[in-house]
Amino acid sequence: MSRLLRSALFQFSLALLIGLGLGLLYSWRISPVTYVDANPAILRADFKDQYRIAIAASYAATRDLARASSRLALLGDADPIAELSAQAQRMLAQGQAFESVQPLAQLATDLTQGFASNPITPTTFPIFNTPIIEFTPTKTEDAPATAEVEIAGTSAPQPTVSFEQTPLVPVSIETITPRPTFTPTAGPGAPFVLVNQETVCDPGMTRGLMQFTLQDSHHKEVAGVEIIVTWNLGEDRFFTGFKPEVGDGYADFVMQENVVYNIRIVTGGSFVSNISMPTCTDPNGTSYPGGLLLTFQQ
Amino acid sequence: MSSSNIIKFLIALAIGVSLGLTYGWVIAPVEYTDIPPNILREDYRVDYVLMVAEAYQGNFDDAAAARRIAILGSDSPAEITASALDYANRNNFTQAEVQDLQNLLTAMQTYQPQENPLP
Repeated sequence: MSRLLRSALFQFSLALLIGLGLGLLYSWRISPVTYVDANPAILRADFKDQYRIAIAASYAATRDLARASSRLALLGDADPIAELSAQAQRMLAQGQAFESVQPLAQLATDLTQGFASNPITPTTFPIFNTPIIEFTPTKTEDAPATAEVEIAGTSAPQPTVSFEQTPLVPVSIETITPRPTFTPTAGPGAPFVLVNQETVCDPGMTRGLMQFTLQDSHHKEVAGVEIIVTWNLGEDRFFTGFKPEVGDGYADFVMQENVVYNIRIVTGGSFVSNISMPTCTDPNGTSYPGGLLLTFQQ
Repeated sequence: MSSSNIIKFLIALAIGVSLGLTYGWVIAPVEYTDIPPNILREDYRVDYVLMVAEAYQGNFDDAAAARRIAILGSDSPAEITASALDYANRNNFTQAEVQDLQNLLTAMQTYQPQENPLP
């Protein structure tokens, strides 16, 4: 009896296990759950990058910070601002144009400060219909020729221009291209000048960290300024504003020991030479590489 | 094996299959983490197209807009934009949003991608 029972139990368990295995095989391998209504949080990393670019580009056009923020939240990043900054740095490191990176940096900066700042560099302009102005001089017997100008195109209002002209001027056709109204851009302005150079001795800080702070004439930090650091073996280029959590006009660079650096602020052409890593001494008398804080001001 | 044993075996097998399917489909389904955008829910897809449309209003760069929309699937950018515009019309998007999508649709319908020169 017990043998019979054991045999029945064994058969039942075996069948159950086989069935379980078949069920899992079907549900995990042959016909797994198919996602058709996914959310952006589970996008692949490169598509998340594309999504952030679209958010930043949209924000650059609309300046709707609240909407950009809620869209970023859809991506489920723990720190959306840090992700934006990191992506901007990655894109720059990949050699992408600053113009394509700037919307990300701008959005990160605005999210950090909590309000929409003025756009900096719109790079393209709306297309205008170009009115073609044709004038035909007509000559009366007693009066000099009068040129009547007709404007074809859609720009309104359409001016009618009449002026006196000598009869010898040949008939010609002129094309006037109206210039679009430019949004003020951050032009070169006054050059940045090194106003303060300070040695930073902090054992907890990255060794040899060269920190930059760029300010305008009102002591307001300026983002998007290109800095070029050169030394005998190479060159590095970077921009302020990619660490908005530190400051809009902040940028940094790690120096090596026994290397002399030259610094050029591209905007305004300021140049500082012979910068090298300072040496600090802790309370025990031990030397260690220090950092530098360079403050430039317009 | 007697017929009653076969029946018991089949019953156990069926129970096992049911348990396996329940576990595999409901309790611990396959989790997707690195999905492409073409399986985003429709409202997210439309919002993405709307972002592209808003950006287009700022720069009028139809090539960039087409490139951004292309990640949403194999349909043409014009078809994807038309679908988004249809969704926007059905779901009470604001007039400005509908207009942005309409402008983008017009641009995508006339957009001709530049061909890459042969090496």
